[in-house]
Amino acid sequence: MQGIDFAETSPIITMRGVWKYYDLGENRIPALRGVDLTINRGEFVAVWGPSGSGKSTLCNLIGLIDDASDGVVELVGREVRQLSDDQMSEFRNKTIGFVFQHFNLIPVLSALENIMLPLQIQGVSAKAAEKKATGWMMEIGLGDYTGQRPDKLSGGQRQRVAIARAMVTDPSMVIADEPTANLDSQNAGKIIDLMREINMSKGTTFIFSTHDQRLLGRVQRHLQMQDGMIVEDKSL
Amino acid sequence: MSAWVKIAIRNIIKNKRRSLYTIIAIALGFAAVNVFGGYTEYMFTSLKNGFIYNYGNGHLTIFKKGYLEEGKLDPTKFLIKDNELEAIKEIFKGDPRILLSTPKLEVTGLVSNGRVSTIFFANARVPSDIEFIRSKSTGMLAKIKLFDGNKLADDVPNAVGFSSGLARKLDMRPGDTGTVTSPTIEGMVNAVDIDLYQTFESPMAELNDKLIDMNLKLAQDLYDTTSVGSITVLLSDTGMTDKVRAYLLGEFNRTRLEMEVKTWEEMSPFYRKVRDMFDVIFLFVFIIVFVIVVMSVVNTVSMSIMERTREIGTLRALGLKRAGVVKLFVIESLLMGMVGSLFGLVITLIVWYAIKVIGPTWVPPHITKSVPLEVFLVPSYLVVSFFSLIILSALASMAPARRASYGKSIVDALGYV
Repeated sequence: MQGIDFAETSPIITMRGVWKYYDLGENRIPALRGVDLTINRGEFVAVWGPSGSGKSTLCNLIGLIDDASDGVVELVGREVRQLSDDQMSEFRNKTIGFVFQHFNLIPVLSALENIMLPLQIQGVSAKAAEKKATGWMMEIGLGDYTGQRPDKLSGGQRQRVAIARAMVTDPSMVIADEPTANLDSQNAGKIIDLMREINMSKGTTFIFSTHDQRLLGRVQRHLQMQDGMIVEDKSL
Repeated sequence: MSAWVKIAIRNIIKNKRRSLYTIIAIALGFAAVNVFGGYTEYMFTSLKNGFIYNYGNGHLTIFKKGYLEEGKLDPTKFLIKDNELEAIKEIFKGDPRILLSTPKLEVTGLVSNGRVSTIFFANARVPSDIEFIRSKSTGMLAKIKLFDGNKLADDVPNAVGFSSGLARKLDMRPGDTGTVTSPTIEGMVNAVDIDLYQTFESPMAELNDKLIDMNLKLAQDLYDTTSVGSITVLLSDTGMTDKVRAYLLGEFNRTRLEMEVKTWEEMSPFYRKVRDMFDVIFLFVFIIVFVIVVMSVVNTVSMSIMERTREIGTLRALGLKRAGVVKLFVIESLLMGMVGSLFGLVITLIVWYAIKVIGPTWVPPHITKSVPLEVFLVPSYLVVSFFSLIILSALASMAPARRASYGKSIVDALGYV
């Protein structure tokens, strides 16, 4: 694949024997069953499978927005179970970017202000945050929409803003949970292409979940999930 | 502007109606506390100034020790003699805090119009001294005329004033003559002619058919004595009352004068009872306002949190700490508290001004005349309630904000519909 120098690859995500249970009344439902996984820096990975296969759960654990019931999860060489809630928040802010299925932009902030948000959470000054966010607005081709609120943008535009928001802190990895589920096929392809472009130019690791097999042709590696297990791990 | 303040302001504007109801609740709460507080302050000030100045009681009253406990049964035992009066005046000499001291004698007996008699209680004082004390009254009270008829004067010792009920009872008017009869301090019966110069309203309705104001000289002639029952002291500043009382007690101790000193507050149980009663009412008003403000804020914040659960999940995923989520909603409530308090201040000023312009009057309890009704603007109340309501609004939002931040996992919040 072009653009990525795999000579410097090292695991950014390591999972060993990871289980995740959900309690539903008296029943304990396993969402992940003993998952072993390693993802290296700079990889562009799709996690695909039917509804209930565990792909969202996997993304949540990698993104530190959920805890494993059993097993070891290491991010950038650090076991996450040792982190306090505040440390996890800091880690997410600096190391992980998120792109959501429903975009999840803050409705009262403009496109530019949404992109600035992760930097301002970090404590970066408004001026510096605005400068960096403006750069990203240009990069995603929405330079003329800085002052628009999310309800004035199309689905594709909103998702591009969400990607810029995910990238503005220069994270090591971006987790995207079904980023194209609410987009038409043309926009879905464009979003994946944008993420791939960023992956290649900046070396950011991308992990996104999808149930759309048609997108798999655009990825470098895909993991097929079924019933909480990785049943296929294929690199192209 | 901080991103959090920006988000807070925009969410307040986005949910206009809900925010407005909360702001109005806070504003009305502010106004209620301050208008009622201003009214009670007016009441306390009027009662205080009325007692001290209008009714000539001064700030301090000096008695012989034991007079208040046993003096009613045998007042002659507790009269302040000439030499004692001179010694006390010596202590007052040159003290700039003491504007005036004036002697007083309370007498009782029978008053007659020549046809019928009835009992009387009299406060016998030096008319020009009472005139001086009254001249220090301020505000609306200074404009109230306290009697109908002519002023009592030092050089007309037989001139008296009757309470209006007594004048009606004896069918006497200013210009009529009568007689007062009383036992002297030696136990002999004495009678003196009187000229009715004025009628007045008694400060206590129960005594309105018994009270007489008379010249000290007349009372001393009636009792056949040169002694007095008490000394009224007027100070230059009400705030110095306790200090001067302590000073006088020290001086009496030093000069071995067996005297006790009571403050105006101690001499006015009515003032104390009214004050205590209004303090309790004020507390109830404040608690009610407190509950309304807290419930309004909790309701508004809870609804806001419910609507923004996914937003909270997103912010947490982006790295905002739990405390940051709490801070977001606290800022929003704080801003509503500020705006509400500002509106409350405007409402308070409007009400204060309206009352000033309309100039209503009312008849207070135990008073037989109508007096002006006012609401004072009390700066300390305004400042304390302003900041209290802002802080209260912020604190009221903390519990629901904490529940939102600590109670739900990020995954659950993101999946909330």
